[in-house]
Amino acid sequence: MLELINIFLLFVKISAFSFGGGYVAFPIIQEANETYAWMSDMELSNILSLAGMSPGPVAINGAVGVGYKVAGIPGVFAAFLGIAVPCAIIVTLVATFFFKVYKKPAVSNILYILRAVIAGVILYAGVNFALKNGMILAGVFEKSSRMIEGGWNVMSSSVHLFEVKSIVMTVAVFFMLLKTKVHPIFIILGGGVLGIFIF
Amino acid sequence: MSEKKSKLAIIFELYTTFFKLGLFCFGGGYAAVPLFEREIVEEKKWIGKEKIIDIFAVAQSLPGAIALNSAAFVGYSVAGLPGAIAALLGNLTPSTIIMLILSMLFSQFNENLYVQKAFNGIRPIIVGLITYAAFKIGKTAIKDIYCALIAIIAFVLAVVFHVSVIFIILGGIAAGILLTLYKSLSNTDQYRHISKDGE
Repeated sequence: MLELINIFLLFVKISAFSFGGGYVAFPIIQEANETYAWMSDMELSNILSLAGMSPGPVAINGAVGVGYKVAGIPGVFAAFLGIAVPCAIIVTLVATFFFKVYKKPAVSNILYILRAVIAGVILYAGVNFALKNGMILAGVFEKSSRMIEGGWNVMSSSVHLFEVKSIVMTVAVFFMLLKTKVHPIFIILGGGVLGIFIF
Repeated sequence: MSEKKSKLAIIFELYTTFFKLGLFCFGGGYAAVPLFEREIVEEKKWIGKEKIIDIFAVAQSLPGAIALNSAAFVGYSVAGLPGAIAALLGNLTPSTIIMLILSMLFSQFNENLYVQKAFNGIRPIIVGLITYAAFKIGKTAIKDIYCALIAIIAFVLAVVFHVSVIFIILGGIAAGILLTLYKSLSNTDQYRHISKDGE
């Protein structure tokens, strides 16, 4: 029961604070996982990866995946409610009041700063994801992160720096998204197939 | 058809419409915008073209998933709180079911060597997707040197000093409020002018 309450509260927190899209939720979920020791960093990364493959917002998919892993179907309900309840409350409040204050300078000032903060936080979400998985600096800052098996791990005096295949794939994806209109789901599936052959 | 029955019918229609939208919105977020417009403005004619743009603008400045907030807003505009809840649940249902199935499959085949290799390939893709999201948000959010500085500070606080993302976001909101106070104290005339325009 305590577990269910923790899951519910985590996703209430995420629903209430994840400004600017789902990826902000990733480091918040990772933080909570450290606190509650629900699963290994690698397992969590895989669940968050699955979240990117399911339709719908990644934060919600992540919620469902984590809820299921921690407490089965009841966990899914706890996560689902944790996301849905604040959303309904916030939107109802905002639909009543916010449309009136939306164009006030206070709101635009807050958004001016908040959007820049979010850009930094999402970049952190990406770096943190790579750190947790041993793509970069395995075992250096994140003591539990291990080197990727079957990867080309570059070391400098026994300190892990980065894993070549992962970095190349990350950079390639960035430019694919920048230059082409390939849907992310196909890139994810392609990455999975490629992974079977190269790792 | 009586007044009451037609309201129930509308709520049911909200649920099914957003169920359909939730099913096809892979990736969530901005991918949802054109689909929402076509279905809600052009097909169902629930909301005018102007209002839906306002709804997206407000939905993305609120915490939580954009698609979900927009769904709740449309539902609220059409049929009040019950409409908001119907739209919200409709939009959440398909991705929750699909994510649940993926999680169940994942927990079965977690240990499989090929599944692990596939995830080795998928994780760098996710890092690429997150980095690209940071880049895209950064492009619109970082308008001047101050914004760039704020984004860097947020990133460094998270990576180097391990400050919780929620505190960083709260700090951003607090800074926005301070900025408003500062502006209104240092230039009262201009503030009055802006707020008049905003009405």
